[in-house]
Parts: sequence; structure tokens; C-alpha cells
Amino acid sequence: MLCEKCKVREANIRYTEVVGGVKTEYNLCSHCAREMDFGHYSAVFDTDYPIGKLLADLFGLDVDGQESDEFDLNQVVCPTCHTAYSDFVKDSRFGCPDCYRVFDLLMSENIKKVQGNDTHTGKKPLHNQEEGQPRKEEDEETKLLKSIELLDSRLKEAVQEEEYEAAARYRDEIRELKERLREHA
Amino acid sequence: MLKWYQETENQHDVFVASRIRLVRNLEHYPFPVKLSDESRKELAKKLAEGLKDIGSLCGQSFRNISLSSTEETEREALRERRALNGAGAEGAGTASLLLSEDETVGITLAGEDHLRLQCMSGQAELSKLWEEANRLDDYINERFDYAFHEKYGYLTAYPTNVGTGLRAAVTLHLPMLSAGKRFGKLVAEIGRFGVAVRGVYGDGNENYGGLYEISNQKTLGVTEEEVISLVKQMADRLAASERKMKSVTLKNHRTDMEDEIFKSYGVLRYAKKLTVKEAMTYLSQVRAGEMEGLLQFQNPVSIYRLMVEIQPANLRMNIPAEEQNDLKQARAAYIRSMLPELV
Repeated sequence: MLCEKCKVREANIRYTEVVGGVKTEYNLCSHCAREMDFGHYSAVFDTDYPIGKLLADLFGLDVDGQESDEFDLNQVVCPTCHTAYSDFVKDSRFGCPDCYRVFDLLMSENIKKVQGNDTHTGKKPLHNQEEGQPRKEEDEETKLLKSIELLDSRLKEAVQEEEYEAAARYRDEIRELKERLREHA
Repeated sequence: MLKWYQETENQHDVFVASRIRLVRNLEHYPFPVKLSDESRKELAKKLAEGLKDIGSLCGQSFRNISLSSTEETEREALRERRALNGAGAEGAGTASLLLSEDETVGITLAGEDHLRLQCMSGQAELSKLWEEANRLDDYINERFDYAFHEKYGYLTAYPTNVGTGLRAAVTLHLPMLSAGKRFGKLVAEIGRFGVAVRGVYGDGNENYGGLYEISNQKTLGVTEEEVISLVKQMADRLAASERKMKSVTLKNHRTDMEDEIFKSYGVLRYAKKLTVKEAMTYLSQVRAGEMEGLLQFQNPVSIYRLMVEIQPANLRMNIPAEEQNDLKQARAAYIRSMLPELV
């Protein structure tokens, strides 16, 4: 189960509070638990308190109360299949398609190392192909029009910044592209 | 119907086999490793049900082999024939294999990934196999939605398959080249292009029979056509070197080469007991001899077929139970019965 506060780390503390006969249950990770106000129980998470020290060790907290980066990353869990980033590191294996989205930022560099690249250029599934068609079918004309549009906005920007040399270069590039567009038509 | 490796045509070249493998997964399903055995079986059943018309698409019948209830020997035999990969042969997890009658088309269902599609043949025809696999892939995709990511492409359980999910592989028979001193260097050089060279049969670092598989290592950031052309290019280069070495040896040391080949044939023809290593070594010599026209058989035979069928699990599947306790003897007997007389 994920921590209900940060929704990133696995919950490892269940805190039940009964106030005026109303029972409230919290499922938290040790990190968020430390930040919550649990009345006098907060002392449990106070690192000066010996029992707190013991529990914090069990919860995976550093004794100093600081978390190392590695600890943080390994705590990231895929909400769909509950594969933790540390599991992925251990087995080099994902648990479900959603893992790719969850761990994207953490592992994109590793994927690049293994594969030498991180962006797919090959075949697409049938339904994706239909969605992606306008982009795939993007012909020479639209490409030129888009480049012109981009250069035009840069030109305006350059004029505003009074960078006339750059502006002149953009103007020439636009002229050339418009020439090509005419030829294409 | 003969299986593809039993065909006697096209088995007289450095090229032994070609293989295209595609890995695909369904949307909204955890990968098989995260499924219980029960759900895995259900998934395999659902997939097999959805793909029940695949036979008419391929023009031949398919067997649905439930791997969890198959004997270990049969799973191992399928692995030796390359119809299953190692993980599939280990069994317990993998739910089933849809296999065409001639074993050119195989789809592992709920193995390491939801679908592992493989097309094989005994010719140098990667592009044709890719067309076939592409067609089957579309057929499957019409029935099931794939897990696909705009950036990472087809999503797979292992990051080493993500992107195209494609492995293009060519098996070459390289007895001369692999015996040479420069082979290790050549393999390392080819590795720099992202192409791996692996021994097909053997034990640890030792290779039996001079069969090597050339395949792409990268699956992401390259198109299917680029992968296939790279593997083809490297396989062609290795095949050309092998042919050149063979012709040079034949020119300069013809008698020595003939001597080795005929001795090998003699041993295979008359030996009473053969280990896998011995049999593979001599069969490799005989295959090379036939290729060069030094040996001529009375009846056509696929030496590669013998190389496959003398592997322990395949041999066990082909012989009666009472012969199982001495496989070496059974192996020698099997080769004697299969190897034709010379002209």
C-alpha cells in the first residue's frame, strides 16, 4: 500500500487515532510519519529518544533523521504492480507496463547505457499508428511551414532585443524556406 | 510434415538458419512474473483462444503445448530445436507454446512476456521472416491491444528488449573461421557494432560443431529494417570470411582437409558409442566436406538435422525406453541409421 500522504513511498506505519469515539486510521511511510503531529507519540520519531532510535532503524530511517538519496529512490513504488525501484535494480526486470512511466526519470539514463538510445523509432501498434498518423504523414510542406513559423517568432524576439545581426540571419533563413515552399508547391 | 531443420534442401551452405523474434505485452496487465500461476494460465488460455485462427493465416496446423504439464525432456527438446528459449524450457512459469507443424512459427504465451513470437527457417532470408512476423504481429494486434510507450516503444519485462522487441538472428556454420586464432578478435570487433556472436551448442566456453548465432544486441532507437540490415551485413561478412578460408585451405592443404573429413565420416559410420562433443565435431567436418563437394551422399541428408537430433533431449524423445540408459550407444546407432552411404 502506498503512503496516503506522499503517495510515492510504500506505507510502513499504520497509526490509529480514537478521538471522541471516532476512529481514524492513517497509512503512512516513515518519512511522512515523522512530519505528522502525533501528540506525545511524536517522541517515538524523535531521534534522541532511545526507543525512537530503535524504531527509526526498523523503519529504514537514518539515525541522524536524514535520508540518503539512494534510500529515497529505492522507496519509489509502481502503484499498479507494487514493484519497488530497488526490485527493478536487483532483477533488471519491470513488473508491468506502468513501471516504465513511474520509473522513467530514474532509469532513463540506465536504459540509454544498455541500449545506446532511449527513444523508439521503429514500428508502432495498429491503434497508435492511427493516432500518430498526422505526425507520420507530416509532409514536406507542413514541415517547412512549421520551421518558418518558428523562425518568425525568433525574428520578432531578436528585433525586440535589438539583436539586429541575429534578426538579419533569421530573415534570410525565412526567405530561403519560403523560396523552397514555393518550389514545392 | 517435415520440420524445417529436417528439410534437405538449402542445407549446403554456411547459412544454417534465420530467426526473427518479437516480444509483445498486453495493455493493462502486469507482466507474467507478477501474475499468480492461476492468472498466468488464464491469460495463456485467453491469448490462445484469441489466436485460434492463426493456423489458417499460416496455412498449417498449430499445436497448443501446455508447458507446465509437459515433461522436462520435451521442454528441453524444444529448447534444443530453438522453438523455446531458455526461460521457457525451465518451465514452471511459462504457460504455453503455440507451435506450427513444421516448427517455423512459435508463439510463447505468458512466458517472461505476454507474447514471444518467433519465425524461423533454414535459409538466409531475414527480411522475408520479418515480413511474416510483421504480418502475424498485426494479426495479434487486431485482437489484443499492446502496451506501448511513445518514447520507449513496445514495453517488455526486460529493458534489454524494449523498443522494437526485435531480435534478428542468423545461424552460421563456421568450422574454419572459429578454429582460427583471429576469431576472438573478429567477434570483439563485430561486438562494437552492437552485434553479438554466440556459440549455439556447447558447454561453457567450448563450442561443439562450429555453429554460431549472429544477432543484434540493441532494440531501442533503431528501426526493424536497420536491425535486420545490420545483422545481415555482419553475417554476410563472416560467411564470406569462412568461404575464403575454406577455399584457401582447399587449395593449399587439400589432402589434409580431405583426410580429416573422411576420417570423421568413417568414425560416424562405424563408431559404437559417441558423446555429444564427438558427434558434433565429426558432423561439423562432414557438413563442411559435403559443402565443398568432397563428400557425396547417395541420398540427400540434412547434417544440421543430425546435429539437432543427437542432442540429449531430442535423442531421448526419438529412441525407445530400453535404449535410454546408454545415450552414447543410442547416439552412435542413430547416426549410423541416418547417415547415407557415399557415392
